[in-house]
Amino acid sequence: MAEVLTHAEPHEEHDHKPQGWRRWVYATNHKDIGTMYLVFACIMFFIGGGAAMLIRLELFSPGLQFFDPQFFNSLTTMHALIMIFGAIMPAWTGLANWMIPMQVGAPDMALPRLNNLSFWILPFAFTLLLATFFVPGGAPAGGWTMYPPLILQTGAAFPMLIFSVHLMGASSILGAINVIVTIMNMRAPGITLLRMPLFVWTWLITAYLLIAVMPVLAGAVTMLLTDHFFGTTFFTAAGGGDPVMFQHVFWFFGHPEVYILILPAFGIVSEVIPTFSRKPLFGYEAMVYATASIAFLSFIVWAHHMFTVGMPLAAQLFFMLSTMLIAVPTGVKVFNWTATMWKGSLSFEPPMLFALAFLFLFTIGGFSGLMLAIVPADYQYQDTYFVVAHFHYVLVPGTIFGIMAGVYYWLPKWTGKMYSLTLANWHFWLSAIFVNVLFFPQHFLGLAGMPRRIPDYAVQFTDWNRVSSLGGFGFGLAQLLFPILIWKCIRSGQPIGNRAWEGAHGLEWELPSPPPYHSWTTPPSDAVIARGAAH
Amino acid sequence: MSATGIEASAQRRRVRRSAWAWALIAAAFYLGFIVLALLRGMK
Repeated sequence: MAEVLTHAEPHEEHDHKPQGWRRWVYATNHKDIGTMYLVFACIMFFIGGGAAMLIRLELFSPGLQFFDPQFFNSLTTMHALIMIFGAIMPAWTGLANWMIPMQVGAPDMALPRLNNLSFWILPFAFTLLLATFFVPGGAPAGGWTMYPPLILQTGAAFPMLIFSVHLMGASSILGAINVIVTIMNMRAPGITLLRMPLFVWTWLITAYLLIAVMPVLAGAVTMLLTDHFFGTTFFTAAGGGDPVMFQHVFWFFGHPEVYILILPAFGIVSEVIPTFSRKPLFGYEAMVYATASIAFLSFIVWAHHMFTVGMPLAAQLFFMLSTMLIAVPTGVKVFNWTATMWKGSLSFEPPMLFALAFLFLFTIGGFSGLMLAIVPADYQYQDTYFVVAHFHYVLVPGTIFGIMAGVYYWLPKWTGKMYSLTLANWHFWLSAIFVNVLFFPQHFLGLAGMPRRIPDYAVQFTDWNRVSSLGGFGFGLAQLLFPILIWKCIRSGQPIGNRAWEGAHGLEWELPSPPPYHSWTTPPSDAVIARGAAH
Repeated sequence: MSATGIEASAQRRRVRRSAWAWALIAAAFYLGFIVLALLRGMK
């Protein structure tokens, strides 16, 4: 039996891949589907980024410059929906598709046809969502949080919005089922749960979160739909309903959603920092338990998003303290990443640069989150640009930099070629500088009282808005380097060996670069697992 | 059936069982939440 499980002859007969459009439309291969997810996420990142550029263009000066307020509100709403559901979540699923089978020693995802369906739902969902720009009444403008009664004023776009949210939710749930089933059933013998790479662990926990909370979003938007079209009054006070109830239901989904967006980034940083420190990850088990603790706590903090609605003091105290509690496992993580680097032999290739920027800048987002958790202070910050600065620090130099770290880390493995380090360094430094120019002044604007989601503002806010807009344009332009770099890498990168980075450990680095069409047609041997073990 | 074949079919069974279990849990959450909310809304 041991012989059966350890022999490593390649199975070329599995390598027949369909050609042309059939390869992509009928794709069941985890790498092909991963690639499609990543390309889709990249397209959405630039569409959502385009909306962000228009927002910053309008806010460059006080007064109305280019857009009417309704369209401005559509831009903010669509920017958020596109970035969260169209760019970040599909990017994580793409990385999961590419890496999880390779990291656990499996030939593919457990449910390849379901995988195809999960992906192909997305283009339909986003075609529907983007089409709302062209229907009477325009795109949704009530904010990505879809609070009633405002969102119920949406025109013909309303049912399109609800249906597209359902489609996105269904796609995420199907993807999550696939991830859980793959990790729980397809691990090679010898890859016990506590020998899995951190990226796999964080994705497993993310998948549980997705299955737990996406149905809550579906329920909430369905109630909006029936309020709008079928005469129910879930959120209409005149009919005995309660609009605040929507906020509770939405944020019961919304806060775990924040961790859905960030946990896989924790996993990637936990892979990248040990590689470029040439040391094993400090406190592997503590990292796993901290991730699980963060996921658990994410279910009991939702009302910190709505302290000002008027809730009992006991509830405010509970949600304030439970929110602050998240700082404990997060602190464990930041400490462990720092301790991993301590006395390490550090080098600063692009994945490490993005991971380090993540470490510094995500922590800033975490600290402003703690400020927002303090109830009396939150009364001042609520609905100001301080909140905008906070969550953008979490989501851009946090999540987006995490995705960039992952792509720059594994791109040589995927393509078999090394990308231009010069171009990647330019991409990093321009992004790291401009992201701070873009978002740091928004703290000042918020503390000075500038409200969010407005196209116009008082003249005293002009200077910092100009700085922020210039940062935004710089950040946006810098991102254009990314597809150029990838194109150049695929076309003319220098071929590399199995292990692109000297300090890299893990099963994926035991495979050739690029890996065969099916990754581990026979499970890796004990010797290979031992060589690849990162801890 | 060879040892590899037995192993593979056992794994396929495990995958199928696990996939169904998670699909049922997800569907129960997804539809259950919507149906319960609507039933309550009709009261």
